[in-house]
Amino acid sequence: MLSQAGDNGSSTLTYQTQNNVQTEEYRISFFRPTTQRALVNRNLTIKLFILWAVAIFGFQVLLKVFEKPVQEDALVRFTPAWNNVLSGQAGEQDYQAAGQSMVQAMGKSTLSSAQFEALQDGVGWMLSNVLSDGELTDLQREVQAVNSRREQITTLHDSEYVAAKQVVIARAAPALGIGTGTLLAQLLSVGLSNNMAGISEENKQKIPEIMQLFMTHNRSFLTDTVVLGFPFHYFYTAVLLLIFFIVLCWYYCYRIDRLHARLNFLERTD
Amino acid sequence: MKKLYLFLLTFFPLTVLAASDVTQLEGSFKVGPAIILIFILTLFVLVGIIFRAKDTTDYYAAGRSISRVGSGMAIASNWMSAASFLGMAALMYGSGYHGLSYVVGWTGGYVLLLILMAGQIRRYGKYTAADFIGDRYYSQSLRAIGAVIAIIISIAYAVGQFGGIGLMFKWILGINYPMAVIIGGSVVLAYTLISGMLGVTKNMQIQYVIIISSFMIPMFILTAKFDYFWLLPQIGYGAAVQDVVDGVMISEKSGLFNSLGHHFAIVPSPEYAMPWAPSTGQTMFHWVAIAFSLMIGTAGLPHVIQRFYVVPKASDARWSVVWGLFFICLLYWSAPVYSVFGIILSSNPEVGQLAKDAIVVYTAQLGDVNPLIVGLLAAGGVSAAFSTTSGLLVAGASAFAHDLYVKVINPEAKPKTQINIARLSTILMAVIIAAIAMLDLALIAQLVAIAFSMAGCTIFPLFLLGIWWSGSNRAGAKAGLIAGSLVTLISLTYLIAARYEWVLPYNDFITFYLGAWYFAWIGAPLAIITNIVVSKLTKETPIEIRKFLIEKVHS
Repeated sequence: MLSQAGDNGSSTLTYQTQNNVQTEEYRISFFRPTTQRALVNRNLTIKLFILWAVAIFGFQVLLKVFEKPVQEDALVRFTPAWNNVLSGQAGEQDYQAAGQSMVQAMGKSTLSSAQFEALQDGVGWMLSNVLSDGELTDLQREVQAVNSRREQITTLHDSEYVAAKQVVIARAAPALGIGTGTLLAQLLSVGLSNNMAGISEENKQKIPEIMQLFMTHNRSFLTDTVVLGFPFHYFYTAVLLLIFFIVLCWYYCYRIDRLHARLNFLERTD
Repeated sequence: MKKLYLFLLTFFPLTVLAASDVTQLEGSFKVGPAIILIFILTLFVLVGIIFRAKDTTDYYAAGRSISRVGSGMAIASNWMSAASFLGMAALMYGSGYHGLSYVVGWTGGYVLLLILMAGQIRRYGKYTAADFIGDRYYSQSLRAIGAVIAIIISIAYAVGQFGGIGLMFKWILGINYPMAVIIGGSVVLAYTLISGMLGVTKNMQIQYVIIISSFMIPMFILTAKFDYFWLLPQIGYGAAVQDVVDGVMISEKSGLFNSLGHHFAIVPSPEYAMPWAPSTGQTMFHWVAIAFSLMIGTAGLPHVIQRFYVVPKASDARWSVVWGLFFICLLYWSAPVYSVFGIILSSNPEVGQLAKDAIVVYTAQLGDVNPLIVGLLAAGGVSAAFSTTSGLLVAGASAFAHDLYVKVINPEAKPKTQINIARLSTILMAVIIAAIAMLDLALIAQLVAIAFSMAGCTIFPLFLLGIWWSGSNRAGAKAGLIAGSLVTLISLTYLIAARYEWVLPYNDFITFYLGAWYFAWIGAPLAIITNIVVSKLTKETPIEIRKFLIEKVHS
């Protein structure tokens, strides 16, 4: 009976205790298995745990090790142009480059309201530098028409509102060197504030910070390699890791079932 | 009722959704979606009545008659809460790659649960987490504390669910958020009281089918409509992610518009997909801490652990995890689809600031999906919150009625009294949960993450050591519990202080390293180490307990 029971270990201990063996043997420790089943289970668990941990956290460490801050093209164009604007040495191209970059930043959906308003001020300021006084007055009137119409409408398809936006695009987009049929022109038509006369000192400070914040990204070959359409790191984390978790779980169950079959180990049913 | 309504309007935030009126994403009462919702809820109640609990064994553990696949579906349904259905897409929409830490955390935890606990928990043969704690650590006080912790965790978890129910009822019925929480909460409460866990388990299988179908159908439509590989949207959306990174010009997808008439276009937005984008304010530390906390929290949640009591034997418990995880992943592979389309479709500033927690529904609306299908999606969101809330209320009621009342307060209680106490505690919990949900403290997924960290700091160490180390004794358990609870208390104190703009000492340090969504990264190891050290220094676990562990749990 001892040798039979020895296969699944735990019942060995039960048998021994019924025969007044030292009670010290009634001890369970994951790291000190006393039976063959416990030993196999421990080893399997440790292996799977290591695989699990490396797959999840090891990959994030890799991402961190290889990452480099990379600026978007818009930021690369913005920085020298903005410096020239601040130093008073800017030409029309600088105003346009800075303006285009800020309009692009206004398309970032995670901007806060305060950040969006700062960029609005910045774009308005650039326009005020490239338009004549008369054109600027006209543009301000047209922008006011768009913004006040927006307050009244119940649908964005409102024909007057759509037409008013087109008027703004026709004047503001070429001034900043933006094509009228582009996404940036669309953003410009809804992103201007009524007041384009100037910019606060606070916003002058804020704008480069906002641009830096939203247009610098941690990239590496792990993020730039494309797999099945995905950036690789995204595919790995969002798709592959989940498949791996299921495989790990399936493998554990399969191995434990096989182990139990090999040891003739029957689990209780209540 | 009117006075109560006025009181709520006065003291609780009125609006959660801030979509501009002009976009008409909110609107008023929606007939089609309301009919779909009523049909689904009626179905749930009918199934609940047909399979209602007949005695305490039924109520607590569904008569231990559920198959592996059925239990897997129930695990998935129980798991796929408003946080999964609505919250994950919200997090990815708002913070990009950082949101994937929740996807990984809420799936990877099942590997830990399986290899460390599932079979052993089933073999231990208890109904509730507090039952295990009380018996394993031979302490009535620990049983009571375990029950209280289980109740607190259930409440914390369910707050996010009530938030999700409120959001969807608000969207469908066109009423304000507090009223939506009250109506939605009342419905889920009524259902749970009628059915009990047997009904809940049967319902969970039906709910799974509804949840996953309602989530998948709009996803296929969106990917097909915007010209991505729609036969397998879970892979097809990869190109959309890359498009967000590179930007989509109007000319590239000309002729494709959202429901507001904006072109399907977006400026280059690598912050959506690149790791730890500075604009999100999240770091690698946050990613790792959240994933880790959610994973160990998974293995410590009372209502998850409780699922293993409803299968006939330990091997069924193990295989039900595999099935459950597969069913869960079907949704988790799909959630990013909504966030990526949401980012593109709402990128025009005219859309305004959208409530992130409703981005799944808004995305379908902006994608001009048929309103009835959007209604089905919203009803799916309600079902997701509904199924989890039922499980949580049952787990909380079990902890109160079974672990506190019967085992500590009145051991002579008759079965009928037990059921009544369970129902009374269910009502009390629902009221508390609804009141907290109306405070709108954080995003749904973040609220749920608090529950995970709490479970990771308190219940997880007790189960892990209780199962795998007979040396862990009562004194060690108490000390570990105190350590874990202390970390929890500190983190939550700073969360509440931040809410009311109070600045406490070491504010920056604590809020960075012990954030409410991930404090278990340090709390759980601390609780485990404390448990081990104190156990080593104090009187050994009684022979009866060690014998039970060997003979029942590990054999």
